[in-house]
Amino acid sequence: MKLTRREFAAGLAVGITAPYVIGSAARAQGATIKIGMCVPVTGPAAEQGLWAQNGAKLALAAVNKAGGVLGKQVELVIEDDQTTNPGIVLAFSKLAAQSDIVGFLGSIRSTQVHAMAPDVLKLGKPVMIGGTDPNLTHMGNQWLFRFRPNDSYSGRVIADYGVKTLGKKKWAIVHSTDAFGTAGGKALASALETLGSPAVLDQGYANQSQDFTPVVLAVKQSGADVLGTYFTFENDLGIFARQLRQLGVTIPWVGSPSVVAVSSTKLAGPALFGTFGVADYAEDSSDASKAFGKAYRDAYKTAPDNQSAWPYDAITVLSAAINKAGSTEPAKIREAILALKKFPGAEGEYNFDQNGDGLHGYNVVKNEKGTIVYDKHIDFND
Amino acid sequence: MVLFGLSLPERPKLSCRDFPASDRRRGPSHRTRVMDLFLQLLFTGVGIGAVYALVALGFVLIFRATNVVNFAQGEFSMVAAYLMVVFAVDLQWPYWLSFLCALGGMALLGVIFNLGVYYPLRHRSFLPVIIATIGASILMANSVLAIYGPQPQVLEGWFETPGIQLGPVYLDSQYLLIIAVTMVLVVFNYWFFEKTMLGKKLQATSQDKEMASLLGISVSSMIMITFIYSAVLGGLAGILVAPVLFVSIQMGSTIALKAFAATIIGGFGDVAGAIVGGLALGIIETFGAAYISVPYKDGFAFLVLILFLVFRPQGLFGERVAEKA
Repeated sequence: MKLTRREFAAGLAVGITAPYVIGSAARAQGATIKIGMCVPVTGPAAEQGLWAQNGAKLALAAVNKAGGVLGKQVELVIEDDQTTNPGIVLAFSKLAAQSDIVGFLGSIRSTQVHAMAPDVLKLGKPVMIGGTDPNLTHMGNQWLFRFRPNDSYSGRVIADYGVKTLGKKKWAIVHSTDAFGTAGGKALASALETLGSPAVLDQGYANQSQDFTPVVLAVKQSGADVLGTYFTFENDLGIFARQLRQLGVTIPWVGSPSVVAVSSTKLAGPALFGTFGVADYAEDSSDASKAFGKAYRDAYKTAPDNQSAWPYDAITVLSAAINKAGSTEPAKIREAILALKKFPGAEGEYNFDQNGDGLHGYNVVKNEKGTIVYDKHIDFND
Repeated sequence: MVLFGLSLPERPKLSCRDFPASDRRRGPSHRTRVMDLFLQLLFTGVGIGAVYALVALGFVLIFRATNVVNFAQGEFSMVAAYLMVVFAVDLQWPYWLSFLCALGGMALLGVIFNLGVYYPLRHRSFLPVIIATIGASILMANSVLAIYGPQPQVLEGWFETPGIQLGPVYLDSQYLLIIAVTMVLVVFNYWFFEKTMLGKKLQATSQDKEMASLLGISVSSMIMITFIYSAVLGGLAGILVAPVLFVSIQMGSTIALKAFAATIIGGFGDVAGAIVGGLALGIIETFGAAYISVPYKDGFAFLVLILFLVFRPQGLFGERVAEKA
């Protein structure tokens, strides 16, 4: 048989394109349900990224063991966000290009969620986030669903606990100057003004500082009798805590969740003993939290914190919502998430509002010689 | 406060207005407190500046010998700190033995770095070598990340006592050690480069390789020694600063950026300049943060760097970069 040049070219074209055509058809049919996850594998938050992956994988295993989603196994596709804003935009665009991914997990860092938000809106698929800047769910982006209480709640809980429970009126606020720290600092300052105890010091700092002596001295000189903090990175918090105690500042300290994070507790050691923190995840706060804590310890031989709890909940809720919707169509998943009421999660009971906020309160915990002890839960109706 | 369109929190309240009115009325007491504050900041500034100086010294030595900026200098500090964690924490070896082994490991890394990164490119222009050092720094950081994981580690200091209270000023024992080591190294470097034959050979190599070679000096050996010494110096800085900043993948790059600025301020290619530049940078950023704005702490350091580049590019002690290039 003689092969003409045209037939050879056509055959070559078919040969090259066939695997892709067949592959895309197979992907369209979808052997698995895919969930994309932007997470820091490298960069300053690589450690937290590992906890987040642990939490997500734990949930994934549980979902798949229970039969998966829409009768299929769920698969996690991970992209490194490098702990930077350009990094997460790139990571999300890579994931977004895969049309068979039905939902995503974004960042716990508000600044990164801000960076990726325009692309999320453009794509129009549900993205679960852990960033706590209140603005994130109030900027008209219907595809963002938050799995941690926002900082308008944390600020109120910190202020409420310090003023009413500890009886302290002169506050020094120390916060990072990124989106998370600035929003948190503002929320705390606003809550304190409402309670009639405006802060005597509102001190920002840049992330990744090697030295906090000027900040500590500012706290010392302010005459404050209680300290409220919003630290983004545990490393920074560890250095600050040590210098705070070395320079003789022993006032009570009520901080955002990072103050009671596993890493901070390990790095700062005794410098954080006796501190209070608002924590979205507290192991003793509910049966679901206890169950997650046990499963996590069994799997990873270490204590969990919010870094792993929120991705665990995000995978669990997203899977439940898709099952409930009976479809992977974005609008139907959104409706199903918003319809979830009293859904028990590791972080608390989820009741999504129209903005996409699932949790509306915080736990208060105390560091008792390195052990994080649950004190109480404060919820808000507004 | 709004600066360059950014809304900043109020600066630390360290002016006299922030002291209680009763204190202000008691003038001498107030002045004492201001002085206490000044001394505390000065100590911290000198301490952190000494760290920059140690890393800057490594930059300078390699630049003098090879005319190349080694952007992996910061990673030397990080690798040494992790080696200390392996020996002192994981293997529970005595601290002094771990210290010696970590420095030995750094000497070996210096050899590997020279043979693997610099030597193959030694006849090329400076640009490929600089890019190779950047590549090596990324490789080192990610290798440690892959081996040790992303978790920051705690490394205890040399002394059991965290610090001493000298009147109103708290002296962190680790910073005291860093300052002392820096001072010793100033004297040692002077003695080594000015009084020993090996030091003079190293200087001759850095000034004119061809002439040094004609005089019978083994240029490649001198460059090898320089890389070993720089890696050990960078490692020393990392080991000393680890108990203060914790041991993390990022610790090297964070310090190296400031050390690089210190090198330019002091004068690229000058040992004394590296020390003075490092100390000046530490003091400037600490006082700038305390008296002007904490969030702009890094900004002060780089503002000074820009001013030097514009008005005195040769730095405090160095020759003009253009001449060197």
